[in-house]
Order: sequence, then C-alpha cells, then structure tokens
Amino acid sequence: MTFLIAFLGSCPVTQGEIRFPPPEFESGYTFPQTTSPAPQSVLQEYIDAAVLVVGLLLASHLILKRRSRRAIFVLMIGALLYFGFVRDGCICPIGAIQNVTLTAFDRGYAIPIAAAVFFVVPLIFTLFSGRVFCGAICPLGAIQDAVLIRPVAVPGWLESGLRLFAYAYLGAAVLFAATGSAFIICRYDPFVGFFRLGGNWNVLILGASLLLIGLFVGRPYCRFLCPYGVILRHLSRLSKRRVTITPSECIQCRLCEDACPFGAIREPTGNWPEGEYRIAKRRLALFLVLLPILVAGGGWGGYALKSQLARVHPRVRTAERVYLEEAGQVQGTTNVSDAFRATGQTTEVLYADATRIRGRFALGGALLGGFIGLVAGGKLLVLSIRRRRTEYEADPAGCFACGRCYKSCPKEHGRLKRIRETAAGRA
Amino acid sequence: MIQESERIQVWRRAARSTAIVGGVFTGIFVALLIANLIGSAILGPSRENKLAAMKLQVQKDPTNQTLLSEVRQLDLKIRRDRIWRLDFAHKAAHMLLASVVVLLVAGKIAYDLGKVPPRPGHATDRGEIQVKEAKRARWAVAGGLAMLAAGMTLVGMSGSVEFAQAEEAGPPFASMEERLMQWPRFRGPGGAGVSAYTNIPTSWNGKTGENILWKSPVPMSGRNSPVVWKDRIFLTGADPNVRQVYCYDAKSGQLLWKGDVPTVSAAAKLEIMEDTGYAACTAATDGRRIYAIFPTGDVAAFDFNGRRLWHKNLGVPDSSYGYASSLETYEKLVLVQYDQGDGTEGKSKVIALDGVTGRVAWEAKRTLPNSWATPVVVQVEGKPQLITLADPNMVAYSPATGEEIWRAECLGGDLAPSPIYAGGLVMAIQPYSQLVAVKPTGQGDVTKTHVAWKMEEGGPDICSPVSDGTYVYLLESADLLICCRVETGEKIYEQEIKGDFRASPSLVGDKLYVLDMKGMMRIFQAGLEFKELGKCELGEECFASPAFADGRIYIRGAANLYCIGQAQ
Repeated sequence: MTFLIAFLGSCPVTQGEIRFPPPEFESGYTFPQTTSPAPQSVLQEYIDAAVLVVGLLLASHLILKRRSRRAIFVLMIGALLYFGFVRDGCICPIGAIQNVTLTAFDRGYAIPIAAAVFFVVPLIFTLFSGRVFCGAICPLGAIQDAVLIRPVAVPGWLESGLRLFAYAYLGAAVLFAATGSAFIICRYDPFVGFFRLGGNWNVLILGASLLLIGLFVGRPYCRFLCPYGVILRHLSRLSKRRVTITPSECIQCRLCEDACPFGAIREPTGNWPEGEYRIAKRRLALFLVLLPILVAGGGWGGYALKSQLARVHPRVRTAERVYLEEAGQVQGTTNVSDAFRATGQTTEVLYADATRIRGRFALGGALLGGFIGLVAGGKLLVLSIRRRRTEYEADPAGCFACGRCYKSCPKEHGRLKRIRETAAGRA
Repeated sequence: MIQESERIQVWRRAARSTAIVGGVFTGIFVALLIANLIGSAILGPSRENKLAAMKLQVQKDPTNQTLLSEVRQLDLKIRRDRIWRLDFAHKAAHMLLASVVVLLVAGKIAYDLGKVPPRPGHATDRGEIQVKEAKRARWAVAGGLAMLAAGMTLVGMSGSVEFAQAEEAGPPFASMEERLMQWPRFRGPGGAGVSAYTNIPTSWNGKTGENILWKSPVPMSGRNSPVVWKDRIFLTGADPNVRQVYCYDAKSGQLLWKGDVPTVSAAAKLEIMEDTGYAACTAATDGRRIYAIFPTGDVAAFDFNGRRLWHKNLGVPDSSYGYASSLETYEKLVLVQYDQGDGTEGKSKVIALDGVTGRVAWEAKRTLPNSWATPVVVQVEGKPQLITLADPNMVAYSPATGEEIWRAECLGGDLAPSPIYAGGLVMAIQPYSQLVAVKPTGQGDVTKTHVAWKMEEGGPDICSPVSDGTYVYLLESADLLICCRVETGEKIYEQEIKGDFRASPSLVGDKLYVLDMKGMMRIFQAGLEFKELGKCELGEECFASPAFADGRIYIRGAANLYCIGQAQ
C-alpha cells in the first residue's frame, strides 16, 4: 500500500521532472525564451481567505448547531478538493507558522496577507468553537480522515509519549524559520506531493507511510506531528463552545466509549487506590525538581548541536562544502559550490557568514532544547495530577470536531427524533 | 427487521465485491507503473550510454554521415520512448487514483455496514486502571524524550567543520616564498632551472653507489622531470593504455602511492613521436595538490596522499610530435598551454583550471599553432605575468584573469625550449636560429618597442636556456654550449662538449650542471670563461631535467629515480 500510494503521487511527477537535454545538432531550431510563472494574484489570496472564513463559519455551524457528521464530512471533502487539489495544498496555517515567525525575526520579510489570515483566523475560531478547522477544513487532516477505514485504538499512554514529537517539530520549525534557514514544515509536508501529483520521493514515501498507517490509526500526522495542532490543542482548552458528545446530559450509558477513532473521549475518573495520594504528592515534588533540570539539560544539548543545526541553513551548507573542497577532503564539486564560486565572493566572507549564522543557532538551539525539556517536564507534571470527571466528554484539546461521536449518544437520537417530529408537525 | 438485516448484508456484499475489484485494479496499475519504472531505469541508461559512446565517435569522425544519422535516430528513439513512458505513467497514475478511491469508499462502506453496535457491560470503578495508565504515560513521555535525545546525539555525531581551522590553514595553495624553496614544476620555480640551494653534490657515481642515497624503479616510462615538495617527489608515467602519477618518499625512496588517471580518449590511436612519448609533460604542484597532464588531454589532481580529487579531459590535442607542454601553477590555478594544429582552426588556447575543483577559471583563445614550450609565471615589477611561446609570438597574460598584457612577434619554427626571465628580460629561443630577449614592461604589441636584442647565431632545438642574470647559457642537443651576456646578447663563448642532450641545463650557485643522455652529469664553472669542473656518471640513460632540493639532486633515469646527496 505504501508503494501504491507513493506511486500514485510520484510516478507522473518523477517522470514529469525529467528534463530532456536540448538537441545537440544544428537543425535551425530556435530555443524558446525561458519564462517564469507569474506571481499569484492578490485577488486569489483574498478568495482563499474568504473561502477559509466561510468554511470555518459553516463548519462551526455544522459541528455545534447541526451536529451532523455527514454534513461535516461533505464539507471536509470539499475543503480537501479546494485547499488540497485545487490550491495545491500550499496555503495552510501549518506552514504559516513559519511565515509569522520569519516576520517576527526578519525585518526585511513581509508576510503575505493570505499567510497572516490563514494563521490567525483558525486560531480565533478555535477560541470560540474548538478545533473546527482540524475537523472540517484542513486538507492534511481531511486526506487522513478520508482514508481511515478500520480504526484501531492507540493506547492513551502511548499517545502521550508520541505527542512529544509534535512539540519538537514545532520548536524546530520555529527555530529554522527564525534563523531564515528553511521552512521545514513545507519542505516535509507529507501530503502536498499527493495534492500536486508530484514531489520528492522521500517525502512521498513518508506521506504514503502516514496514509498507510492512517488506514488503521486515525490522523497520525495530526495527532503526533502537526505543529499547528500543538497550538490549537492549547487554545481549544480555552474555547467558549466546543463539541459535546451529548446534546443534553450524559446518562453514563458508555455507548460512546469507542466512538472516537482519535482517542479523544475521556471517561469519568474513578477512585484512586489507597496510598496513591501520598505517592502522587512525592512524585509531583520530584517532577517539580526535575523540570528545571530537563530545561537546562535540553538547553545545553541544543547549544552543543549549534553547528549541526546550522547546517540546515543553505549558507552554512555551502560554506562547509566549499571548505571541504578547498581542503581536499571531498572529491569533485557540487552545483552549489560551483554557483558560489561563480559569484566571485571570497571564501573568507562565506566562512564569516557561516560562523555568524552558527552564533544565532547557539542561542536558538539552546532555546529549542530548553523548550523540549520544558514540554517533557510539563507533561510529566500534568500526568501526575489527578483530574476529576463525572461523565464521558470530548477531550477539549484532542477533539478534532469531526462529529463521529454524536450518533453514538442515545440523547442525540432523541434530539434528532424531536427535530424530525417538529418538522413533520410543521409540514 | 429480518428484511432490513438482509438488505444490509446485500449492500455489504456489494461494497465488499466493489472493494475487491478496486483492489485488483489497484494492483494491476501498480504493477504497470512498476514495470514502466523498471523499463525506464534499465532501458534508458543503456541506450543513453550507447548514445554517449556514439557521440564520442562523432567527435573523432565528424564527417561520417552514416554515424551522424544513427546518432540522430537513436536520439529520437530515446526521446519518443521517454515521452511515451511519461504519458503512460500519467494515465496509469490517474487510473490508479480512481481505483484507490473506489477501494477506499467501498471498503469504508463495507466496514461501516458490518460494524457491530457497542454493548458495554456494567460500569466499574476504573481508578486503579487510570493510575496505571498515567504511570505508563509518564514512561512513554520519558521514552519519547529519550528518543529525541538519542536523535540529537546522532545528529551531534555527524561532526562539524571548524572554519577557524580554515583561517589557520591559510589559502589552498603555498606562498611564493615556500615555492621558491621547492622544485614545484618543470625546471623549478619560474621554470628558471636555478637551484635555491648551493650545497648540491658535485661528485657521485651510479655504478659504485657513491653519494647515491637511494635508487627506486619507476613503474612506467616517461620523459617528464621530478617535482619536489618537501618530503614528496612526484613523477608521471604512461603507455598507450595507462596513465599514472607517482609519489616517492624523499627520505627512503619508497613509492608511496601511484594514482591512475582515466581517459575518455583512445590514447592508442594517438600519433606520438617516440622521442616525446606518452608522459612528456612534467607535473606541477601548488604545495597542496599535484597536477598532471597527458597527451590524451587528460588533466588530473591528486592530494598528497594519492586521492584523486578531480579529472578532466580537455579534448585530444592536435600536436604534430605529441603534446609536451608541462603545467604551471599560479596560486590555486593550474595553467595549461594548449596550443594545437596550425593555428587557423581556433583550437589553441591557454586554460586556467581551478586547482581545487578542476573547473575552468578562464580561457584565452589564440590563433597560434602547436607549441611544446612550457609557460612560466614570473614577477615583473611586483606583478605576475604568464609568459607563453608559440610561433611567431611571445605572449604575456595575467595569470589571475587570462587578460593579455603584451605580445611580441619575434619567434618562429617548432618551439620546444621554454622561456626564462632573468636580468629584467624574458629570453626565448627560436630553434637553430636565434635567442631573443624582450623587456616585459610593455602593453599590447611590443614587437617594435620592447625587443631588447637578438642573438642570431643559432639556438638549441630542445633544451631551455638558463641564466644567472648576467650570463645566459644555451645547450644545443648536439654538443654545443653557448654563453651570452644578458644585457646585450653578445656571445661570450661557444664551446663544443661531447654528448647528446635532452635535459635542460641548471645553475647551482656558480656552477652549471649539464646532464647528457648517457647519464653523465657535466659540471662547468659559470661565468666568462668555459671551465669544466667535473663529471659524474649515473650509468643509466637520462632524458629528463634534474630537480634540486636541499643538498640533493633527483634524477630520473630511463628506468629509475635517483636521489643523490651526501649521507648524513
């Protein structure tokens, strides 16, 4: 299946990327002038922003008012087609994190209007309606949702560990964007290759693997990798209105227990065994002590990796390659080193630039490592605190607002029945 | 109720069958795409290799219309095949997409229709289970953190480049001062044939072993001279099929490494005079790398440990006796005098290659015929000039940019002796005819303004001159040693010395070292009067000019490399 999906996306593209060398015989053929595609029109950006806002309004209505999984699914497929296949998957809030970061750190960079809107608007909607963007609009979530055939539950404890990678990914993406090194979220977008029917082989295989896993594990990218999802998780906790499994009150029937393929339904909490409180207090104290150690350790580790992290920056990569060539430690040249030499710049300038960029990574690497340590320590603390729940409820952070759980609730069936009766009475 | 259940089962079976059909088609299209990909991967390269080989043949035989037609047909076939495969891949991928959609939709429907409604049991207190889950979750977080730490460690193990070391290591070539103390090219620094050391032996004997520090066999023959850089000595050797660079240890004479230089040219088909051979060009070093060129047009760079850094074929040179100009270096540039043909075909040029990468740094095209002289880089009033000779011109270029500085039309014939710069004059020989001196301070055509003098009483055909700045010495390959005054060109003496000579004369302090073809080194007093100081017999034929280092002479015999010096 992995190969299948990889082929699906890659074959036309891989073939399409083959460029024929120009004929070597003098036949009177005149080479056409090389042209560049025109920049995207501003109008298109406004259209995209408008579609996003309308889509989110509609999604909020369908999720919170209509409570219709079918309607949400239709909207999701529509968003997948428009933002994914029509717009080539290249206008998304996930990647916009990097535009926003670069704007904050580089005065010379002006963020495109669409990128700013796409970053901010889903956050605002999340504050008011929960993760409606994830559930109905995000093309990356939609493509995974569409292939989910036979969901298998991932143990909650495993999910806690795997989610750490999303935080690390977010931190790395911010670091690389802030230093002007790379937009790694876009470079390693696992599904954009499918939307465009072409792309880098490695990324296509990554995407195919995620889709293969996604046949059984609901939305693996969203749950364990998505950097924007990390932000939405925390904002969603603050949201005024969000998905509720039951339209009225929970009768503890447990019919919804397995309704969520994303493990986002929280069961009522039970009573802790005797003596557990005392252990929990000690554990909490231990983790409180451990937290600054993890932050400091992570910070030190990130700082130590400054040279390796800086390699993501093209200037540093070029400098290293040129240095190795000049020192005779590698054979031949690359297009990049040839291009550098063609500029006529001196290696001294190149090395000085690379050293300066590494300096930025010293601080950035320390912050990234410290952030990862903070997240891990924070998670350990949170997992040591007892929560109280009296009924089954959608996890405010983890719920993708897909609406799958509605129909598992008998109260929802009652509500729908009343609506039908009212409609019939009116008729 | 039963009817409803049966209806669902019918739909479920239909969905399942549709999913199976979708799966089968998916498999078929995947197989077709794989076959297409394999076809491209196997057939494509083999055809392209064949096309590349045919194109090479076209280069050698450009008038062969049958071959040209075959190349065109194969080229067309390759293009058609690529377009067909591209089109096929597009169509198959779209069909595959449709099949996958059918598979997914039908599979999903079949799964949903077959889903059993949940039947939860009685609620129990799950407190203990939740505590255990929280514990596992904490371990999972710790595991995730450990994985990230392991990933970071792996990244850290990839090492890093310290640019500070680049500053400490300095530029990728040795300084002028360093070069002056070594023997980095044909006839040493500036091609002058003058030793920087005066503690050179004046007595040795190859037969008795007197002052022979070591003697090492050279794997393949060649008439090129040794190049010395500190404790390394470099030579090249070749036959019609193989081209090699050799590195010897100066202390022990041990062959440290030999490096092969590949070719894309058919060397066996080259028409090369036996006297020139397949390895006439002396290598050159910039103190960091050693460069070699062969009559096949192949240039290669090796580091001092024998690792080939790059290789380049400049095209087979059209040279009537076989290509023989040696290499020169300037900073990190390798300078190649690549004069060919009769000069009317536009093939002649001087090429500067980047020593680090092998890419062409500059090229200076010229309408001059094939020449065998080696270019020299000299410092004129503190600025470098690259002096080249080719009938009828002496041309100076900027070695950094290839810009022509001046030219003088003052030479003729088949130019093999290389120029020298001494006493403020560039001196060059027109074989059998004259020695010409030019002041290298002009711009543009200096034929009428800067030719200082001409000594028109003959000149050597092979050996290059040597000068101490006051006198210039010419060695004719028959048996004549001529001494002239540098300032005026006035001939001081002409002395017959017995022997045949191919090696150019060298100066060590006030002594003139002249090596004949039988391996006899003749040592004369430099100066106004001819005076023979001694003879040293090697006992082996010699064609190459000797190289001088601190207290040592390195001589390449027909089969061996000799190190001559006094044992410490």
